[in-house]
Amino acid sequence: MTTNHEPVILGFLCNWCAYAGGDLAGVSRLQYPPNMRAVRVMCSGMVHPDLVVDAFGKGADGVMVMG
Amino acid sequence: MTLSEVTGISGEAGDFRVSVKQNPRYIDMNRCIACGECAAKCPKKVDDEFNAGINKRRAAYIKYGQAVPLKYAIDAANCIYLARGKCRACEKFCPTDAIDFEDKEKNVDVNVGSVILAPGWSPFDPKGVDYLGCAESPDIVTSMEYERLLSASGPCMGHLKRPSDSREPKKIAWLQCVGSRNLNRCDNAYCSSVCCMYAIKQALVTAEHLEGDDLSQTVFYMDIRSHGKEFDRYFEKAQADGVNFVRARPHTIEPGKDGTGVTMRYTLDDGKVVVEDFDMAVLSVGLEASKDALSLADTFGIALDEFRFAQTSSFAPVASSREGVFVTGAFQAPKAIPRSVAEASAAAADAARLLTAAKGTLTRSKSYPREKDLAGQQPRVGVFVCSCGINIAGVVDVKEVVAYAEGLPHVVYAENNLFSCSADTQDLIAKRIEEHNLNRIVVAACTPRTHEPLFQDTLREAGLNAYLIEMANIRNQNAWVHQNAPEAATAKAKDQVRMAVAKAALDYPLARDAVPVTQKALVIGGGLAGMGAALNLADQGFEAVLLEKDARLGGNAWHLDTTPKGEPVRPMLEEMIQRTENHANIKVLKNAALKSATGSVGQFVSKIAVDGQTRAVTYGAAVLATGARESVPTEYGYGEDARILTHLEFDRKLREDAAQLGQAQSAVFIQCVGSREPNRPYCSRVCCTHTVKSAIHLKTLNPAMNVYVLYRDMRTYGLNEILYQKARDLGVIFIRYDVDQKPAVAIEGADLKVTVDDPIVQRPLKIDTDLLVLAAAIEPHASDELIALYKCGVNADGFLNEAHPKLRPVDMAVDGLFVAGLCNYPKPVDESIEQAKAAAARAATVLSQEAMQLDAIKSFVTDDCDGCALCLDVCPYRAIKLEEQATEGNGQVHKRIVTDKALCKGCGLCAATCPKGGVHVHGFTLDQLKAQVSAALVDVV
Amino acid sequence: MYEFKVGRLARILGVHRNTVSNWIRSGRLDARPAPAKRYQIGEAALRRFCALNHIAEDRVLDHLTVLPEAAASLTPTVAARFSTTGREESMTQKTIGSVMVVGGGIAGIQATLDLADSGYFVYLVEKSAGIGGAMAQLDKTFPTNDCAM
Repeated sequence: MTTNHEPVILGFLCNWCAYAGGDLAGVSRLQYPPNMRAVRVMCSGMVHPDLVVDAFGKGADGVMVMG
Repeated sequence: MTLSEVTGISGEAGDFRVSVKQNPRYIDMNRCIACGECAAKCPKKVDDEFNAGINKRRAAYIKYGQAVPLKYAIDAANCIYLARGKCRACEKFCPTDAIDFEDKEKNVDVNVGSVILAPGWSPFDPKGVDYLGCAESPDIVTSMEYERLLSASGPCMGHLKRPSDSREPKKIAWLQCVGSRNLNRCDNAYCSSVCCMYAIKQALVTAEHLEGDDLSQTVFYMDIRSHGKEFDRYFEKAQADGVNFVRARPHTIEPGKDGTGVTMRYTLDDGKVVVEDFDMAVLSVGLEASKDALSLADTFGIALDEFRFAQTSSFAPVASSREGVFVTGAFQAPKAIPRSVAEASAAAADAARLLTAAKGTLTRSKSYPREKDLAGQQPRVGVFVCSCGINIAGVVDVKEVVAYAEGLPHVVYAENNLFSCSADTQDLIAKRIEEHNLNRIVVAACTPRTHEPLFQDTLREAGLNAYLIEMANIRNQNAWVHQNAPEAATAKAKDQVRMAVAKAALDYPLARDAVPVTQKALVIGGGLAGMGAALNLADQGFEAVLLEKDARLGGNAWHLDTTPKGEPVRPMLEEMIQRTENHANIKVLKNAALKSATGSVGQFVSKIAVDGQTRAVTYGAAVLATGARESVPTEYGYGEDARILTHLEFDRKLREDAAQLGQAQSAVFIQCVGSREPNRPYCSRVCCTHTVKSAIHLKTLNPAMNVYVLYRDMRTYGLNEILYQKARDLGVIFIRYDVDQKPAVAIEGADLKVTVDDPIVQRPLKIDTDLLVLAAAIEPHASDELIALYKCGVNADGFLNEAHPKLRPVDMAVDGLFVAGLCNYPKPVDESIEQAKAAAARAATVLSQEAMQLDAIKSFVTDDCDGCALCLDVCPYRAIKLEEQATEGNGQVHKRIVTDKALCKGCGLCAATCPKGGVHVHGFTLDQLKAQVSAALVDVV
Repeated sequence: MYEFKVGRLARILGVHRNTVSNWIRSGRLDARPAPAKRYQIGEAALRRFCALNHIAEDRVLDHLTVLPEAAASLTPTVAARFSTTGREESMTQKTIGSVMVVGGGIAGIQATLDLADSGYFVYLVEKSAGIGGAMAQLDKTFPTNDCAM
């Protein structure tokens, strides 16, 4: 792994809180690194373990489930 | 109608004509896209009133990040152009030409049937009170300022810093009753009701912000008034977490050394004077009547009380003195959020009751073309990439994203729009759907949380199912947060579009189910709350079945003498019972018991046993108002002597033989009998007020009588504080006791003796008394049956739970069930009636519809379900049942789950639990989510 | 018509607040009580009082709140009548199926939503540029520490 490796992080964001928080970060123009790809879910409880395993299997460096 | 004020009213209830002055916003709401360019370019900085003046905003502004409507406005008083005729910087930079300096004040007249006044409150301004020192030290802040300092959206972005030197404060003091319960330095004799709780909250939230053992929080108070549901537990948690509570009023408050921090001097109960330094002090400022109260009262011609709150009666708590004009929230009296919300619903109920005849005459509905049948069609995705002026295009290379999208699988069309949400683009999208026979749409723009409904509407108008759209959030969660990394942002935008397209390809049309609604309500409990709810619903034209377990209606109200405002309860009660029993829309069932309850919102069915016979009732919504009772004291010699009474027994005696009570030479009241103790760790809310009211009554009967009140904290919240003050003026003696040193009662022959430790003189006090009144706790009825039937929740104390303690105070977690009165928490008459009306208003929102439209995002069962039932326990809404089904053909029986669409909220806990893919959520199936995961990671090696 | 609080007038005149109270009670200062511990006094009466007590009129008149005539004429009826029943009977024949809600805080919003959901058209009037009121300013709410937003 080279030192300039940019990790790819997959985020599962609850529509009612974490995703809304992501929107608010935008309205507030808070800057953060562009490494996360967000999947919007209706509740963090709907994230099936398979999805997490799948993400790692396909090369994600990290998975965040936020809700 | 924002930036608007009412200037006049004429007409009468049912047909008012109200004049409204709409101040100019100088920004066209239809054009503003809330990009913030105007604020970024505006050169004028002014104090931000939303952040209590702690930081600056521009003259072109939005109130706060999540403001509704999310449209900017220009503050005419501070705009340089409007004041001095030069600047117009915002106009030059606005990408949509929304700035309109020609905007004029508009006056409009509207015709309405009734008016609800909810102007809110103003915080007490402590600047004029010199001893508080807030003018001298920046580290003395008001609670509203502190609230903004704590807030993640506030000026410190959630990292608490003290104003003087931006260091983290470690030692913070709260001063209670600033601008409340004070006639000496201000005129607010009342208690503001909310400050004790918000100070405790701020102390606890502060601990979440600041780590470390050296943090110390001290609350200086007179009485802790944690009289609401779960409030005492919260107070005890704060004590357990190390928040210091000191019963003292600091009298000298000065800036600390070198101008930072605060030095306070205060006296403890035992007379010891303490001088203590703090890093910061928070003044728990009280609630005052709204600044506009007087002008509003003037415009509407309604009566205010001496503190400028609106005058109301305990039996009609939201009716103002003018017919057809209702008042609610802190305009009626200082109160916390849940009661404001309940009152607001109550006002809505009363307004609706008045206007029942004209219901539905002014509301509109929209019609859509028939949906196209997509059976057998391959996905044909259209991608629309929004520039959002320069909001997105300024960071993300939108042309490159469009070019990239064109190459994605299933995509047959892609284009860039300046503003995808504008009305002309909506028409354009509909046209493109037609031209290219698109059957899935991806919009790469802002957030689906605000804009998905708009695009869903466009799809429906174009004959597509509303659930065939996906949004890629390339503004809020991309361009705006990666402003300095345009290349990475463009790459991310491509990924986001790819993910959305992957999911869209798997989207399929969803139907929104509807359940028919039986426009009839069941009200359980025939006390004040139950009758209040039934009467309001019946007046609104709905049928109500009122179920009472006893032989007569009225419940606890039969035992009450007067309300705290001194209004006799009996005549009102009798009138109410008479109206209930004679109302054409109400069916009263006495000696009745609920036997079963099935179904869900819109369609419940219950069996009710009345006098040995069982009947079935179908109803769309139910109000639970099962009440509570006075507990039987087990201490202080209760039951051993006729002179020892509970509150309700005292009220009865007062009604039957007041003269005899007046002959007593001495009377003692003991508070918190069975409340705020380990087995009932809650406050019964009504007893302190009932006691001071009763003590005043005794003093009026016999001014020479010695009346003692032995208490832990006097909780005469709100305007009841005036009674506490009056009792002290009349010479009632209040003595505080600690829960580990309770008063002792001895019956020695004919003598009744009470002994209590007086904390001020620091020695025991012996009182010979002729009367001992015990403030017995209010306890809930056992409600196991009700809970089993409706699957509703109770708290640890046995009171029925509301869906949300602040925002849904009368809704229950089960849709279609509402709660009112004592079964929810102990409360006085006016609050019970408020809640009853509120429950009626909320039930009316269900009953007003002929069919309930359900969201389409619900769970569904697939053939892979083998009935293992793992999902049953995780479902928070109890929407899943296990059923046995016969397989067609061979007649074999196998198990399968069935989901109830009316109960399911689409959270997908079942789907995540299922090991076999036997249950999914529409719009978020495992395949759809997996497609997104794969699409996100396609470039990763 | 002028309006004042006892403390305020006492500060202007440089006397103790009890003195001002005594003057009002004795009738020397011809003011009548108004809501919220305020007093109202006619301009003529105030000028008369200043002249009698050798006080510069400007000093007093410039510092007291002037009430518009309409507000001054409003003396709220303390014993306003309330009834739980029979309000409809006195109503006009015409009934409008819409309601105006004044104030866009949490109470105003809830009332608006309930009415709109029950089939009434609602005008929500808010003085500032956005709705939300005081609750939007709160960080968290007790006792669950939920975010106020």
